[in-house]
Amino acid sequence: MGVLDGRVAVVTGSGRGIGRGIALLYAAEGAKVIVNDPGVAVDGSGHDEGPAAQVVREIKEAGGEATANFDSVAEFSGGENLIRQAVDTYGRIDILVNPAGILRDRMIFNMAHQEWDDVIAVHLKGHFNTIKPVSVLMRQQRFGRIINFSSTSGLIGNTGQVNYGAAKAGIAGLTRVVSKDLGRYGVTVNAISPGAATRMTATVPDAARELRSQAGVQGAAGNQQPVASPFTRREPDDVAPMALFLASDDAWDINGQIFLTSGGSVGLMQHPTAERTVFKDGHWDMSELDDAVHTVLLKDKLNPAPARDDFELIGRDIPAKPLA
Amino acid sequence: MALPLEERTIVVTGSGRGIGSEVAKLAGKLGANVIVNDPGVNVDGSGQDEGPAATIAKEITDAGGTAVANFDSVATEEGGENMIRQAIDTYGRLDGVIHVAGILRDRMIFNMSEQEWDDVVAVHLTGYFNVAKPASVLMRQQRYGRLVGFSSGSGLRGNTGQANYGAAKSGIAGMNRCLARDLGRYGVTANTIAPGAATRMTQTIPDAARELRAQGGIEAAARSESGVTSLRAASYVAPMVVYLMTDQAWDVNGHTFNVSGGQVGLSHEIQPLRQISKPGRWTFEELRDLVPSQLMGGLRNPAPPPSDLDLPGRPVDAS
Repeated sequence: MGVLDGRVAVVTGSGRGIGRGIALLYAAEGAKVIVNDPGVAVDGSGHDEGPAAQVVREIKEAGGEATANFDSVAEFSGGENLIRQAVDTYGRIDILVNPAGILRDRMIFNMAHQEWDDVIAVHLKGHFNTIKPVSVLMRQQRFGRIINFSSTSGLIGNTGQVNYGAAKAGIAGLTRVVSKDLGRYGVTVNAISPGAATRMTATVPDAARELRSQAGVQGAAGNQQPVASPFTRREPDDVAPMALFLASDDAWDINGQIFLTSGGSVGLMQHPTAERTVFKDGHWDMSELDDAVHTVLLKDKLNPAPARDDFELIGRDIPAKPLA
Repeated sequence: MALPLEERTIVVTGSGRGIGSEVAKLAGKLGANVIVNDPGVNVDGSGQDEGPAATIAKEITDAGGTAVANFDSVATEEGGENMIRQAIDTYGRLDGVIHVAGILRDRMIFNMSEQEWDDVVAVHLTGYFNVAKPASVLMRQQRYGRLVGFSSGSGLRGNTGQANYGAAKSGIAGMNRCLARDLGRYGVTANTIAPGAATRMTQTIPDAARELRAQGGIEAAARSESGVTSLRAASYVAPMVVYLMTDQAWDVNGHTFNVSGGQVGLSHEIQPLRQISKPGRWTFEELRDLVPSQLMGGLRNPAPPPSDLDLPGRPVDAS
């Protein structure tokens, strides 16, 4: 008897990486799974039905039920097709998981508009494209699970990923809103911010990471433990158990949260609230704000990417214009 | 005596009305050359009117400041490039970009059309990219610059009926965290403002709808603003935004500030609040036991299902 017996799940981007692990575990726990993956390269180019078909084959060989789907979630019609296929094939849809993603890393000053658009389309719009049609059905049946994928690149920040970081932080916001739109209909909406060594993270060269860190730039990985140990394992399949728990009946009242999930660690992420506040009964002037910002709000806070020491900077080495 | 923003050139998107206009006027008063951008659309993004931007530009120049109007839409790549180019062509340089422009198309997720999603994301989120990209090229070269994007409690905390707006606004905060890391070492800062103010945009949400949701037990985005109505004026948001443009804010980078009335708050970095760890892969049974007890304690469902809804997993009330 499986945790997801009788449930139907759609897992986007499940031909490889984290999605694949989730599709396999869901099927092993009794769910009927639509394995979606257009089989593109990490940058979104190309098309290959092999990865999704292979995962379906593995599931069937293990005695499970699964169907492949090759639609792109970047298209509104692709999202609709995907959800329709679940209903047409298995008669219902209970669980939607959204790990599909691509990368087009570039520093902001070199980023092409196309690189921005493509990444936003797959991640952020891709979440909308699947959530919109599934929300109509889940609201009607008064049951559903939606599991989105965010990232520390957006929640904490990372160099060279303005497009990805914006999309992933956007997904966190989308999760918070949709959890409130759907919670009262018995639907839960949560997000996972995963840590795993996959094809996607392999695109960031270690040399680039080291260079940034030498320059004092905080990466998203800045607060992850660097030393390999049983506690810092980053296998993609390690993300699947939390995705399983969130899809289970037991998680009926867990809604609107973001879980940092990596190896054997699961963390509940904070929603951003004011940590320190200053108040004035009236309009602030510039010198009052300068004082409040430096002595209260940002006391002991670090600049995540401090200006190079050899730059002459106005305010630091060059006298600032006086504040009115 | 020199004014704090003298010889600085600042582009303020959506500054024909609301918070943007207050920011533009204060920047102008403190000596900046201001590009007052506003295509003068309705709250839903429809229409076009050169009046609002022209009026604010005139108010600034009438008061002895320097400003020109721009009517481009920030939702297009060309629009963003045009307003940056206009700053260079008119004043010879660009020091700051403040992206306040925004529209609303509120709808529950199950009723939201693709167009409603696209239009809101285009103005807010891609709109910020459309100005930040060309600005970043110049700012990196001159080793000086200030970027400010506007977020919202709707994205940072969540608000019903605003999947498009909440996603875009949360995305802007994430974008600034990345921009701060791409540009900080070149002497450029990028920060986020999450404002609270009574403007044309907030008027679109009927009080009746707010009350209905509250009765249903649905949490609204944290209302960090003052309870005093007069303190919800848009002019209260302007000083902190303009302060981020000053020389003194050279090392203020990558932060989110909540600004409403006389309050200025520094938002938390998003970190794990609680964590469970084991040296290996979790099992379902372990997570079923530990997540509710160790991670979720004291936290409520922000939109709980009604108690008469038959839900798999929910303990059946013995009474």
